[in-house]
Amino acid sequence: MSVAAVPAASIPSQASPRERSRQRAIRRFRWSILAPLILLLAFVLMPVLFLQLYFSFHQWTVYLGSWWDAEFVGLDLFREVLTDPRFGWAVVRSLAFATGSTIGCFVIGFALAYLMRRPFRGQAFYYTVFILPMLTVPVVVAYTAEMLLYQSGPINDLISRISGIDFKPMWLTDPNIALPTVMLLEIWNWAPFSFIILLAGLAAIPTEPIEAAEILGASKWRIFWEVELPLLRPVIFLALVLRFLEAMAEFPKTWALLQGGPGTATETLPVYIFLTTWQYFEISKGAVMSYLVMLLMIVIVLFAIRLLRREKQSLDAMYAGQKAAG
Amino acid sequence: MRKSRRRQLTAILRYVLLTGWAVVAFFPIFWMISTSFKPDTQWFAWPPFYFPHPPTLSNYLNVWFGAEEYAATQYAISSQKPLISLLNSTIIAGTATLLSVLFGSVMAYGVSRYRILSETRMFQLLMLRMIPPIVIVAPLSLYYSTLGLLDSMTGLILIYFLTTLPYAVWMTKSFIDEVPREIEQAAEILGASRWRTIFEIVLPLIRSGLVATFLFILILTWSEYLLALIITKTQVTTLPIELSKYQGTTEGRVYGRQAALAVGITIPLMIVGLIIRKHLARGFSFGMVRR
Amino acid sequence: MARIELVGLSKTFGSVVAVRNLSLTIEDGEFVVLVGPSGCGKTTTLRMIAGFIDASAGEIRIDGRVVNDLEPRDRGLGMVFQTHALFPHKTVMQNIEFGLRMKGMPAPERARRVREVAEMVHISHLLDTMPGQCSGGEAQRVALARTLVTQPSTFLLDEPLSSLDAKLRRELRAECDRLHQALKRTFIYVTHDQEEAMTLADRIVVMRAGEIVQVGTPMEIYSDPANYFVADFFGSPSMNLLAGEIVQTNGSGRFRGAGFELALPDGFKSAPAGAATLGIRPEHVGVTLGGEGDIALPVRLVEPLGRDTLLYFDAGAERAFIAVSEGLDMADVKVGARIALSLDPRRLYLFGADGRRLAPS
Repeated sequence: MSVAAVPAASIPSQASPRERSRQRAIRRFRWSILAPLILLLAFVLMPVLFLQLYFSFHQWTVYLGSWWDAEFVGLDLFREVLTDPRFGWAVVRSLAFATGSTIGCFVIGFALAYLMRRPFRGQAFYYTVFILPMLTVPVVVAYTAEMLLYQSGPINDLISRISGIDFKPMWLTDPNIALPTVMLLEIWNWAPFSFIILLAGLAAIPTEPIEAAEILGASKWRIFWEVELPLLRPVIFLALVLRFLEAMAEFPKTWALLQGGPGTATETLPVYIFLTTWQYFEISKGAVMSYLVMLLMIVIVLFAIRLLRREKQSLDAMYAGQKAAG
Repeated sequence: MRKSRRRQLTAILRYVLLTGWAVVAFFPIFWMISTSFKPDTQWFAWPPFYFPHPPTLSNYLNVWFGAEEYAATQYAISSQKPLISLLNSTIIAGTATLLSVLFGSVMAYGVSRYRILSETRMFQLLMLRMIPPIVIVAPLSLYYSTLGLLDSMTGLILIYFLTTLPYAVWMTKSFIDEVPREIEQAAEILGASRWRTIFEIVLPLIRSGLVATFLFILILTWSEYLLALIITKTQVTTLPIELSKYQGTTEGRVYGRQAALAVGITIPLMIVGLIIRKHLARGFSFGMVRR
Repeated sequence: MARIELVGLSKTFGSVVAVRNLSLTIEDGEFVVLVGPSGCGKTTTLRMIAGFIDASAGEIRIDGRVVNDLEPRDRGLGMVFQTHALFPHKTVMQNIEFGLRMKGMPAPERARRVREVAEMVHISHLLDTMPGQCSGGEAQRVALARTLVTQPSTFLLDEPLSSLDAKLRRELRAECDRLHQALKRTFIYVTHDQEEAMTLADRIVVMRAGEIVQVGTPMEIYSDPANYFVADFFGSPSMNLLAGEIVQTNGSGRFRGAGFELALPDGFKSAPAGAATLGIRPEHVGVTLGGEGDIALPVRLVEPLGRDTLLYFDAGAERAFIAVSEGLDMADVKVGARIALSLDPRRLYLFGADGRRLAPS
């Protein structure tokens, strides 16, 4: 049973003068709190988005000087971008990269969280070590990776020694395995993130329903599938969604380390946009690409919002009665 | 002994798997630290040196203190600015984070007590942060150049403030939600205004949460790469950019020096992260974990 | 048949001994209540029986079979938890049939059993709702149903009523009693509430600091407490306990308390001299206005409750001496007035310095 809080707005209209001035004070307060955000959005985000839109329809290169000299080209730029195979490939790579690294982060994060969900000796030590990769600045990860994955480097050496075979792949210079390699780096870097979220979710599962299931005859496997997993759904979605979105935006590991190379093997969307804008100086083309990517991300994000909201609501509903029963 | 035997085997398996990943997790960090102490002859050696033999401080001295006699290359001497970058990074990250937490926690109070943002809006705010920064960097730099904010600390601080605000709001809100409303009502009856209640009563009560949020966002701003790359040119550099400058040299890779710089960037973050490790879970939950 | 034997059961958590060398036999069909203050080890014991906690030492036998190494699901037990522990993401129906599904019972049969049980505990109207929508009392009934339907030989109940309000508690208490009568299975019930223990149990096991203090029927526990602790724990209002000493004068024992003295009844004539505590239950104290009594004490407070009146007296200690008088006849007694009280000699208890009861000879 829940008692809904009465929002201020539903107080009957014949409010006393005191009530009315209180309402006004509250309204002023609410606006003043929101003010910084609104100002930021209005003065930073809006102009930026507007410029972006402007340049999507006006051809402009640096040599033109003033912005307003740019000529209106209608949908030409859009056509150019959408028929650019390189752009298409960049999209594919970004999606592949994001999907692969998200799944990898999830699998490892979940495995680690599941192993650590009950207290045991040395748990704190393992927890500390496991979060270290996430605390490593991505640029640092990139450069350290170069040192490690150098063809005559320690990783190859270690693997060769352990497996006995002469293992010397060119992790970062072979176009065929460069992208998977960067994915592995991403997984190494961010698995702790999924790990922390999933561990928190596992820890929040109440123990008594699990014990009840045990005594009612359920095997460990059953308990996992029927009791633990459903209660973990919100957290699982969160881990997947957040990681996926961040992976789509990944920049340092692909750019700083490889500049999208070898060739275009690791040219994800951020890298291609960066190249287009700052190396080829095709500002307008870059603007269009940015806009398209932004639209793509907004679609994904809206979907993600709906998903997460639904999960949060089901979570609240499940535990609503529990709060009352204490 | 069926039950206890099974218990033992599970425990052994657990330790094996966890230790396996612990090695994987730690090895690159170990390598980075180890390399930073290696003399240049051991940077590329094959078979590789896992431990510097003997360890040397020349990389650190060269990178952080510009000691010329240790410089391996001409380039290395000419870009002796890490200490300045360190200062820049600290100021920029520190200020942006402070602003973020300050405004964010006040906004979080508004959301928690006065519902100034609906649940949908809160998620939208979070997702705002999830749009890849790449899509706005180009027009942003043009916009900044007209405002004179390009290559300035203020410009970077401003954009960091905007991009980390969603996190600040979300994280502090979960702490504010746990402060009982009766305390605020008591303050109100005693004559405190709303603003005073926020700053004198509520925020001090969630002090540790604020610190955790601060440190967490500090990690984000400190390690940020793309925006810093675009917005800073010659006047201002942050540490991550500094590191990438070491890459662009024509004289081959200076692994030892890079490692020394990398260690300097990473160790503070790790210390910070370890301090707040108990709060990380809370910061990442975003309402999906029952408390 | 489900006879449960605990033999020398112990449990240590690090340096804390939660349960110490506990031995107890529970006969088939009994309603046994483990009762005691928080931390006495009753819940730990129950969980060891269930199998969620491993015993540090000792054996748990069900029908003669040692089950220490068996998983909870293989012990044939049913358990009801303090927080109802329903699966929040499943409907009430799905919750109840869970155990049957684990046994592989086909759907139609399950549905039939679930409906039967739901009738028994009056929750048929809730079968399609979610646990989150149920009230505390309803949820606990569902938890009962979930266990009932699997027909275990023994029911374990871990403070199932603690999270409910007083009225619900009484209702569900009656329910538990009814079920026990109907099913005639073994019930092992843990609580800290002495009233629950008194009303539900066939036998009460009083525990303190990890050990059994006394085992007996409610009658025995109430009338024949083994020591100070048991005497104090049971009864509402609690037994009056007056500190003082026994003095032997001329071969007859007297009890000297703070501000009064009285002769000990025949059975205690030869009680050893020394520090002791006198006990008498409030309902066995007779109040005579303007008459003669064993002791006279000033009134501290009068509480007319309707059916009874409670009179609180000052016996020279922090804790008041309470007498219960039927009806409201005594409601007008003035505070401060000195009233004569007669103590029923057959209901006097004496406890030695170590807390143990001194038996009348």
